[in-house]
Amino acid sequence: MRFNEKELICLSRQPSEMAAELGMRGPKKGDVVKKRLVKLVVNFLFYFRTDEEEPIGALLLEQCRVEREDTQIFSIAFLDEAERKYLFECDSEEQCKDWIDSIIKASYEFMRRNLIFYRTEIHRLTGKDPLEQYGISDETRFQGNSGSQLVARDTSSL
Amino acid sequence: MKLHEKILTHFLSCTSPVDKEGYLYKMKERNATYYRRWFVLKANLLFYQDRPADRHLLGVIVLEGCTVQMLDSDGYFPFSLEFGSGLKTYRLAAGDAQTQGRWVKALFLASHCYLSCLVRDLGRHYEEVKQQQECSDSLSSFRSFSPPTNSLMLPTLGPSTVVREGRSFSASAALPPPSIPTKLAAKKSPKKWPRRNAHVTPLNGPAPPYGEWSLVGSDPLIEFRKLHDFYGQEVQKAREEWLRSQQTEEDHSEKDLIDLG
Repeated sequence: MRFNEKELICLSRQPSEMAAELGMRGPKKGDVVKKRLVKLVVNFLFYFRTDEEEPIGALLLEQCRVEREDTQIFSIAFLDEAERKYLFECDSEEQCKDWIDSIIKASYEFMRRNLIFYRTEIHRLTGKDPLEQYGISDETRFQGNSGSQLVARDTSSL
Repeated sequence: MKLHEKILTHFLSCTSPVDKEGYLYKMKERNATYYRRWFVLKANLLFYQDRPADRHLLGVIVLEGCTVQMLDSDGYFPFSLEFGSGLKTYRLAAGDAQTQGRWVKALFLASHCYLSCLVRDLGRHYEEVKQQQECSDSLSSFRSFSPPTNSLMLPTLGPSTVVREGRSFSASAALPPPSIPTKLAAKKSPKKWPRRNAHVTPLNGPAPPYGEWSLVGSDPLIEFRKLHDFYGQEVQKAREEWLRSQQTEEDHSEKDLIDLG
């Protein structure tokens, strides 16, 4: 599958508050802990060999499960495969908590749910849809799912 | 660099909402020819494949750091995704103006950065609205008590206005409600999604504590300028309509009160 690699590498170079050297272990049996520079940018987790410009890899932080494994260790599981986890060793309990918190909040879907919550609540409390002033109240992207009121997917066919 | 593709394809096929899908034409740089592809926009990712039913994905475009441009052309409806100097420009085209407009708007709104700004704005708005609500609630609950002879405020009213945590308490509550920590409140709200994702904001519950989310990688001013330009179009339209309606009324000799130049 093709992807815009150069642009993604450029993205990985953006400044980030969450960038640190952590011990990282892959999900496969036999994978060992390696020191990596781990960096959170938007909803991607990039990991670099220390002092290298280009990341080794990028993990999309959507549909994943982040868990505390130990005082200083957290894990991320993808693809609903709870046993196959990436492990990250931190230097302190606080650092571990920070990473878990940041990764969860970085997910696009998490942010979208928050948006829908705020939108619904503001509408309930004020009678006004706060997205109207932005001209985006009809966008399917910002609709909440509520059973029968599911907005039909916008399909434009040529 | 390795992009873990399975994670992306899993995300594409899971139950989270598809934001837009449809046929568009994509230009191949090598031969400057357009090829028809089925595009699926989800979050800040634009996937494309030959046909909707295909399991094989041709590619994905991560939509961070690009500008969406409507392009002029006779007879077809092109637009581009520009990533900046030294980086790619994707050329796409729609079959009609309406489709073109809808896709341009959808792609403009797709970035993580945009959503981050929006959530931040709405979060602040929500806090303001909640505070205003509490003020008016505390005023009305104060009135429901017979005022004491000394002029000091009743301390028991204090906690009832502070402990809101996103739940609405009735204004006439005589006793301050017990302080409920956010986590506990979150656990009580009904879960409507599969348990596999352990850390999910309950839809009915309060949002978790809203910290500062690092607006990573982009200058917020640029993002807001983009937003401003975009909303500006709406404002411009509204102003034009207003001006037209003014012209149909009696002739006013004065100028506009506000000259927008």
